[in-house]
Amino acid sequence: MTTFDEEMMKRALREAADDFAISDTAMESILDEARDSGASDESPRIRAFIQRNGRTRSTLLAVAACVVVLAVAVPLFNSEGGASKNRTLTNAQGVVTPNSAKTVAHGVSGETITGTGFTIGANAQATLSPTSTGLTVKVPKSSSNASTVDSSLRVEEVGTIHLTVGGTHFQSTLTQLTDFATTDGGFVASTQSHMGTKATHSYSTGSIVLQVPERNFTMLVDQVRHAGVATSVVTSATDVTGQYVDLQARINALQVSRTQYLKIMTRTNSIGGILSVQNQLNSIQSQIEQLQAQLNLLNSETTYATLTVSLREAGNQVVTPAHPATGIDKAWHDSLRGFATGVEWLIRIAGPLLFMILLLAALLLIGRWTWRATERRRGGIS
Amino acid sequence: MSDAVDVDELQTWLEDGYASSVRTAYLILGNRPDAEDAVQESFLRAWKFRDSLATGSSFKPWLYRVVVNTCNSKLRKEIPHRNRRRPDDDLDDVAMIEDPIGRVTLSYDVMTALRDLPAHLRIVVVLRYYADLSEHDIAIVIGRQPGTVKSRLNEARRRLALHPALQSEAPSSINDRKERQS
Repeated sequence: MTTFDEEMMKRALREAADDFAISDTAMESILDEARDSGASDESPRIRAFIQRNGRTRSTLLAVAACVVVLAVAVPLFNSEGGASKNRTLTNAQGVVTPNSAKTVAHGVSGETITGTGFTIGANAQATLSPTSTGLTVKVPKSSSNASTVDSSLRVEEVGTIHLTVGGTHFQSTLTQLTDFATTDGGFVASTQSHMGTKATHSYSTGSIVLQVPERNFTMLVDQVRHAGVATSVVTSATDVTGQYVDLQARINALQVSRTQYLKIMTRTNSIGGILSVQNQLNSIQSQIEQLQAQLNLLNSETTYATLTVSLREAGNQVVTPAHPATGIDKAWHDSLRGFATGVEWLIRIAGPLLFMILLLAALLLIGRWTWRATERRRGGIS
Repeated sequence: MSDAVDVDELQTWLEDGYASSVRTAYLILGNRPDAEDAVQESFLRAWKFRDSLATGSSFKPWLYRVVVNTCNSKLRKEIPHRNRRRPDDDLDDVAMIEDPIGRVTLSYDVMTALRDLPAHLRIVVVLRYYADLSEHDIAIVIGRQPGTVKSRLNEARRRLALHPALQSEAPSSINDRKERQS
């Protein structure tokens, strides 16, 4: 058709398009989907409301803009105050004294305390109390504008105590420490002891590692301190909430990726495509398992606190004080030290001296050779 | 307006316009599965934004506008990134109809010629000669001036008139079919 035949085109298009039947199932599925999404879809009403009233639309837009600006500006203004609160909380968690079973943080009116993984609203009085899964931040409901915080802190607590006990009580103290751990819901992770005898003039020493639920750690420290004479008590707590949350987030993200890849795999028809997706899935699964192992370890470390107790029998002096030296003894030692220093000095200067001697010898040889050559030339000329 | 009423309204829309929308989308996109996807998406979108249909305005161009926009979106974003289905994919459906050879030949030729047109020309041809919309309505559907529609139609006609598939096959096939029909 060199000229365009409109009627023919209409017929041809109709025939091309009407070649297949339209099924009703597709319409039913559209209706079902519309019913499912329709119950919660308020947007048409809101849009109709906005369209009806132009002023209202402008007002709503202005209000929305104000909310966005406030949402951005308030955290910026409070960022400095928030940082100081973080420091306070970190200090509170970082130094745990044996007697402190509870740490209390007071929020200043109008400020927001922001910590790792949790937020405490204005006028809040937050209480950090030990729980089975770590320290939980609880905010009283009566606080105005205070948002409920249910994020739990993950704190890893460890401690070391050096105990000195009477000679006859060494074994009984070890048993007592084991009892403390089991009573507090924990267990003995390891124990090591050396029994001394009077015949060999040795003293009994030993160490025991106790693990108890984190909430009973302070109580255990207190009990152990009074089981003998505590010569040193060191406890520390590390906040690993950030690490914990980060691991969880990474695991979640990888799980989402895995689900996506599984969906892709169901739609992949070619063998190459399936193998490629399978490789990705294997890699993701491996990463998930690694992160899960780290998370489990962290979970275990924060669930149980570790206390290492070093035991020593009374009278066992590890460090002997130095005896004051007498005059002759001192002179003899000084003499020996001087001799050794002299030998050291000789050895130290031997290297540079040897170098200087070799250099001089080389210069002498060169000078002699030059002198002889000069003399020979003079003799030849004359 | 309750949700039940809304869904009834959607059902009316579907009964009135689903089949023609799928066929229009089929001509624009060139294959049936994509056309059905596009129309399903279009109806849900149209129903969601049903309040944007101004009172008193014509429903048909508005619905076609949503369908054409969805088809355009598919042509731009989705279809170029995969192997394009050929019209042969739908031959199973056509094989059951009366006089399959003549109709398949003509359908194939028309689809070939349409596929070779640029999308913006193909759309106006389909809307004009299949959906039977006026130039004014096509202008509403594609969101352009009527003058633009006119020039696009002219350009499309010129290209179709010169297309080898329609040039060689069309007169004979039409005559043959006319004879067969009589």
